[in-house]
Amino acid sequence: MSLRIAIDIGGTFTDFVCLNEETGQVIDEKAHTTPENFANGVINAIEKTGIDLAQTVYFVHGTTVVINAVTERKGAKTALVTTKGFRDVLEIGRANRPDLYNYFYKKPRPFVPRHLRFEVDERLNYKGEVLKSVSEEEVVEVARKIKKEGVAAVAVCLLHSYANPEHERLVGRILARELPGVEITISSDLIKEWREYERTSTTVLNAYVKPAATRYLDTLQERLEEMGLKVEPHAMLSNGGTATFARSKEVPITLIESGPVGGVIGAAALGKIIGEDNLITFDIGGTTAKTSLISRGEVKITTDYKLEWTPKYAGYPVKTPIVDIIEIGAGGGSIAWIDDVGVLKVGPQSAGADPGPACYGLGGTEPTLTDANLIAGRIDPNSFLGGEFKVNLDLARKAMEPIARHFGISIEEAALGVIKTANNNMLNALKLISVRRGYDPRDFVMVAMGGNGAVHGPFLAAELKVGKLIVPNMPATFSAWGMLMTDLRQDFIQTQIMPVIGCDLDRVNAIYQEMEQEALAVYEKQGISPEDIVFVRTADLRYIGQEHTVRTPVGNGIIREEDLITIRKAFDRNHHQQYTFSLDYAPAEFVNFNLTAFGMVKKPEMKKMPPAGSLHDALKGERVIDFDEHGRLMSKVYARGMLGPGHKIQGPAAIEEPKSVTILYPGQTLEVDDYGNLIIYTGV
Amino acid sequence: MAKVDPFTRENIAQGLIAAAEEMFLTWGRTSQSTIIYEVLDYACGLTDARGNLIAQANGVTGFLGAITYSVISTLEKFGPENLKPGDIILTNDPFTGSGTHLCDVSAVLPIFYDGELVAFAANKGHWNEIGGKNLGSWSTNATEIYQEGLQFPVIKIYEEGKLNEAVRDMIAANCRTPDMTLGDLYAQTASLRIAEKRVLELFDKYGKDAVMESIETLLENGRKLALKELAKIPKGTFEAESYIDANANGLGDVYIKVKVTITDDSFVVDLSESGNQIAAPINCTRFGAYSAGRIIYHALLNPDAEPNEGFYSPLKVVVREGSVFAAVRPAPVSTNWEALSHITDLVAKALAPVIPERITAGHFLSIIGTILAGIEDGTGQPFVLCEPQAGGWGAGYNKDGENGLVAIADGETYMIPVEVAEYKYPIIVEQYAFNLNTGAGKFRGGCGLIRDYRLLNSNAELTTIVSRHRIPPWGFAGGKDGSPNVVEIHPADGSEPIIGATFSNYPMRKGDLVRFISGCGGGYGDPLERPVDKVWQDVKDEYITIETAAREYGVIIDPVTLEVDREKTEKLREEMSRQN
Repeated sequence: MSLRIAIDIGGTFTDFVCLNEETGQVIDEKAHTTPENFANGVINAIEKTGIDLAQTVYFVHGTTVVINAVTERKGAKTALVTTKGFRDVLEIGRANRPDLYNYFYKKPRPFVPRHLRFEVDERLNYKGEVLKSVSEEEVVEVARKIKKEGVAAVAVCLLHSYANPEHERLVGRILARELPGVEITISSDLIKEWREYERTSTTVLNAYVKPAATRYLDTLQERLEEMGLKVEPHAMLSNGGTATFARSKEVPITLIESGPVGGVIGAAALGKIIGEDNLITFDIGGTTAKTSLISRGEVKITTDYKLEWTPKYAGYPVKTPIVDIIEIGAGGGSIAWIDDVGVLKVGPQSAGADPGPACYGLGGTEPTLTDANLIAGRIDPNSFLGGEFKVNLDLARKAMEPIARHFGISIEEAALGVIKTANNNMLNALKLISVRRGYDPRDFVMVAMGGNGAVHGPFLAAELKVGKLIVPNMPATFSAWGMLMTDLRQDFIQTQIMPVIGCDLDRVNAIYQEMEQEALAVYEKQGISPEDIVFVRTADLRYIGQEHTVRTPVGNGIIREEDLITIRKAFDRNHHQQYTFSLDYAPAEFVNFNLTAFGMVKKPEMKKMPPAGSLHDALKGERVIDFDEHGRLMSKVYARGMLGPGHKIQGPAAIEEPKSVTILYPGQTLEVDDYGNLIIYTGV
Repeated sequence: MAKVDPFTRENIAQGLIAAAEEMFLTWGRTSQSTIIYEVLDYACGLTDARGNLIAQANGVTGFLGAITYSVISTLEKFGPENLKPGDIILTNDPFTGSGTHLCDVSAVLPIFYDGELVAFAANKGHWNEIGGKNLGSWSTNATEIYQEGLQFPVIKIYEEGKLNEAVRDMIAANCRTPDMTLGDLYAQTASLRIAEKRVLELFDKYGKDAVMESIETLLENGRKLALKELAKIPKGTFEAESYIDANANGLGDVYIKVKVTITDDSFVVDLSESGNQIAAPINCTRFGAYSAGRIIYHALLNPDAEPNEGFYSPLKVVVREGSVFAAVRPAPVSTNWEALSHITDLVAKALAPVIPERITAGHFLSIIGTILAGIEDGTGQPFVLCEPQAGGWGAGYNKDGENGLVAIADGETYMIPVEVAEYKYPIIVEQYAFNLNTGAGKFRGGCGLIRDYRLLNSNAELTTIVSRHRIPPWGFAGGKDGSPNVVEIHPADGSEPIIGATFSNYPMRKGDLVRFISGCGGGYGDPLERPVDKVWQDVKDEYITIETAAREYGVIIDPVTLEVDREKTEKLREEMSRQN
């Protein structure tokens, strides 16, 4: 019993990482993702490695089942019950029109059609006081109507339920009694934060995905148990923590970004080990590039997530906490094309895994970023994916030909144009997460991951003025490794507006205690002992008159008068950091009280590598790589598997490993650290 | 042969656009004023040394002309030779280029590289308070611009980096909230410096020639794109007329008319036959008309185009001095969005029959600017609820109209949540629901909204400005008109409701209810061509009643079983189409 296993489903590949705690050995494996039944891909990946699941002590799974149920609109037929006068709130949304000049703009369509949105004549005010009580008779009547419609899930979201959940609980209980077999979600079980549209949207989405998530997690668990798994499996949550499958089924919306967060948590964990706490993660896979920022060891969490949002589309708010990641359509499979006025664009359309880039020879004819990297010599046709997958340079060149012809340039120049354009898109995403949010990239270290992260990372880090770049071990499956480094996590938010100085301290202390009790109860069911639970409190504050809030740390234990001054000062400091000014003289107020409850899990220890052999042994040979403005340079090629602590390499060079390659630019230096990470000094 | 490869040129162009966007984000992040960082009522842009727009980032549509003409008015007043590094010019003069109303202040910063003027960074945004007769500076009953606040007639607020303290002190003395107003000034000008820094970084990295060449290509590509779209549109002259029916200051309707002439390389919007300016603040200046022209031109030609001078170069807006679309001093203009919105709508209406694939039917249009203000009983503190309303949009050749969406003059503008409104203001929101009087059609107009506020305070004053009150949004291609915007006050004592459009400081008492009913969009195409299943679905979803299904769409549905009587429906539809 000593295996720790993580499985991460991506758009193209399902990644598997297994750590043997006794030997320290890590195995990674990739299998094709199987969209028709994701569990198959998971089972395939496990079978490929031949490990014995009975030896597993910890199993964590990053799943796309929730996001897929939503994007493919394959969730359950769902009804909504809300306060009288407000059934259209879900469809009105906030009425914003982000596509400014488009008369044909289409708002997000509600997940519950109008005839399945029911009202009950009850009312609270913003203090949570009852203006009109719930009539049981009326709710029973609503249940009768819902039953006739044959829905599988019901969402309940009543006005001001964040201030007083009693009405929602009552309605929920009656509906559960009247509608056996129907999944009920009430908003106050998910979030106790104001803004009715955002809360309703979150509740509806949770209800909508609940049956599908339950089915998937149950099936997978069954099959894993058949294969010998004896421990309760965990799912990766969008907030960067984990929860047991049992808990995840209750709040499946917290799995919405289950997939991409592993890499960010992994980077934070890696940073801790090697003593770097300001990190920018950079993950390029087959279809997208993702970046996130870790400041002072803290992964940035957002509660302003909007599903399917684009700058021109309002999207669907999900108010549960989610790791703040910027994702753009720029990956290896991104297609290069010429726009209306003759300008080259790359992505967001991707050739995906099938047909894939032209060089795969699977029928793809459009030029992709991978084709361009192949033509530029950055990827070696003979050792792509460790040589297990043959790629064809001629097909790549043929696909690139129309672009070359359009601009009247050579195929090599066209390939560089594609790389340059893709790099520029990625650089914009990197700036968005750093510079544009008030962070100076020079204070950060970049961590490159994903199959293509280390191809583009060294160049982009230098462009962004990041001095140091880390390519961790097994960068292509790093996200799955990151999942092994996570703790259980629950987030609670309670809206309660009151001035900071002169607030009702009893109420404040009661709110935190209630949230802590709730967290303990949930963990007890998951078998976590109290000494492994860590609470982190924050509060959202703002200057009175403002709308936006700033998250501010709050100490544990009983909060006293003098603590309020500490909180207030911390708020001013954080406000200044985020918004460049603070109003130290203006009165401030609490808006939300937040609690994060971690259930600490034993994590694998990273072992130092044995001393390296001679660098010469790692040298595989030489090839010409096109470094654009530096020219086409003869570059040494190294096998990463043969590199070890203390090895130093000067660019230009390529470091190849089975599922990735690192491109070191002229003027850059690479060192291998004690753990086998490649540390690149970018030359800025 | 180009000196710079096309990919680098594109990277530089993207860098310039990113500089405008970063200026936009920076201002949003550093502003202390909710109308900037919540309502996004501001815009940021870059122009070349002659004032040609290179890139612009917008939160709302109304400022599309603002950057260009603010820079041009700066060049006209000072001449390039009198601009120095570190200068920042301030203007809110609606009559010379800033364009909208006094609350919207433009700031312009000339960018110098190696001592040469190479570009301008400029931005414009809504300041919360700029003095004048009303708190918040805009009103629905001003008769002269002098009542609407402090005017900055293209002046240097910074000279070679030094703040003009005399001007600063005058601003502080003339505004009700001097700290916030000056805070706005500092945030706005600081964001200009960010853009300047980014532009100079591009010059340093790529060299002056490469950047200049990129700007040229960017503008050229913008023009190419516009000409390409113009080639797809029928040529000729197209007309439409209507009225601005806000009845502000009791002055009645204002006649408005447009003639749009399209050729291979021009798009001329001639508004000169429209009525005269009036002594109520619904007028816009010629620069407001230019912005309005850009909005609708942008929408019709290519909504995805980047806003730049090249793209707008075929557009010409013709106005008559002294008309409601080219007001001159001392006309009040503080609710100029009414005139501006109506220009976009007139052009759309003129062209809808010829390019139905590029425009949807009329929408509720008026932003229904609303202020509910008073002194809160419990605290003695003032409260001011100031918001636009959302409404119904028109149907198009391939879609029903949108239900509840902000008007064309707004944009990334968010309605206040009910739970937040009830916390902040002494009101109870009794409903927030769809107005179902949609314009019938093969594609149905979108639903307007009904929002009810019941006053919990002993008293308050209501101010609204609403057009499209008498004349509903238009349907086309056989689609029916939508329904108008209405404001109703239902007194607590149960007496007859007061129904109207524009109210100025109307007194309300505890228990009174104000109901905002925003209009529904117009329909597209013959309602009898709407598939029976869709009509049935609309009945099932209660977007239309069974009676409406029969009367407008000729579809007979059983009130008990909700089943369609196919036979009767066929007969009725035949009969109705004979009568048409």
